[in-house]
Amino acid sequence: MQLTFIDVHVRYPGLDISALNGVNLEINTGERVALVGRNGSGKSTLMLTANGILRPHQGALLLDGRPVRYDRSGLRELRRNVGVVFQNPDDQLFSASVYQDISLGPLNLGLTQAEAHRRVQEVAEFCGLQELLDRPTHALSGGEKTRAALAGVLAMSPRFLFADEVTNSLDPWMRPQVLEILDRLADSGCAVILATHDWALASAWAQRVIWLEGGSVFRQGKPGASSWLT
Amino acid sequence: MRQIDAYAYSNRISKLHPAYKVGASLLALVLCLTLNRPLASLLILALMLGLTIFWAGVSWRFVLTLLLTEGSFLLAGVLGVAISVSTMPDAGGAALGPFWVRSDAASVWLALNLFLRALGSVSAMNFLALTTPILDLIELLRRLRVPEVLVEVMGLTYRFIFILFDSLERMTLAQEVRLGFGNWRSSLRSAALIGTNLFIDAFRRSRILETALQSRAWDGALRVLPRKYNHPFQKCN
Repeated sequence: MQLTFIDVHVRYPGLDISALNGVNLEINTGERVALVGRNGSGKSTLMLTANGILRPHQGALLLDGRPVRYDRSGLRELRRNVGVVFQNPDDQLFSASVYQDISLGPLNLGLTQAEAHRRVQEVAEFCGLQELLDRPTHALSGGEKTRAALAGVLAMSPRFLFADEVTNSLDPWMRPQVLEILDRLADSGCAVILATHDWALASAWAQRVIWLEGGSVFRQGKPGASSWLT
Repeated sequence: MRQIDAYAYSNRISKLHPAYKVGASLLALVLCLTLNRPLASLLILALMLGLTIFWAGVSWRFVLTLLLTEGSFLLAGVLGVAISVSTMPDAGGAALGPFWVRSDAASVWLALNLFLRALGSVSAMNFLALTTPILDLIELLRRLRVPEVLVEVMGLTYRFIFILFDSLERMTLAQEVRLGFGNWRSSLRSAALIGTNLFIDAFRRSRILETALQSRAWDGALRVLPRKYNHPFQKCN
């Protein structure tokens, strides 16, 4: 499966400046992609556009070669395949219980309660949250909240996962645990797109680095390639 | 509040079906209010304390501190029943400066009765608050067919209380390190700034939360799986 951005321009309502300026990009399932760039370069906008929260005012977003439809069923189909984990897990965890928070996505996709329960158990095991399912979300540590937010998205079985600087607020002990989850996810065939300011992490972890600047792709390629910083 | 919440999740009967705990608390409350006898109120108080401390395993120090705090408010409230103060000369009262203070056995008895009734009722509510997570009460309301929109608002409010608590703590700290709350005048200014910023923060967070919910295919209804509970005489797991 492929997610394709064709000359995508996105402008926030009420602002004259485009947050994305003609982005052309292809992302394939199973890829590990690092999205780098300074603050305001368009990383978060790109993620919200990929998930259908923002709609391009010019250009097109294609999912597996077909243009994304922005009606109810089209958006549901897009969000079934493209998940976003936000930078601050407290912005994403809406429910007071981990178990119930994770179950939101599967039930929104129209799955039965039994199937949703199975998925919750599955992703809880995948993210190491089995013991925390009954805990209130406000009683989790920072790393646990990040994993719970990740689990809430993974329960929808996305083929593309955009993670917005999720490792930034983690301590050095928790960071490898979250990266390990992302690794296993990529190994299972999901594309993982990690937005980060950490060049060392991007170089060490990703197969491809996309450098955004001023709302467009400034450079992309394999990390460590000699042409990178020239 | 955080401590009450922590006990609600960690006590020995936290996974017991909330209907039993709500039923027991309401029964104690109704008995306390309708029987209107000091002995009955005392018995209910003792029973509720026993259930909270010995059955649920909540720290006796915490339970008694909580009750003492609530009791001091109640005491202040019933003092007005036990003692009457007047500026008019009263033959049966004692002069205290320009006031005449008067009390009699019937008023004291009435105040004591009122105090014990209120304390017994409060202990029933304490039992519920310390043994039942708010989530379970919300779930119970959902099962009782309370309109979904009310249940969702309750859940979101509960979640936001803790998020805004964190914001409040950060903002207070940020004020304190810059000499906020130094005196009465700066305290007023700091509190006003925090109040304004907290409102803006709550608004900003609610918008981000809406975006995050949309990204998970939310269509207006917060559908979540029901929680599972234990029943009496079944081993808690």
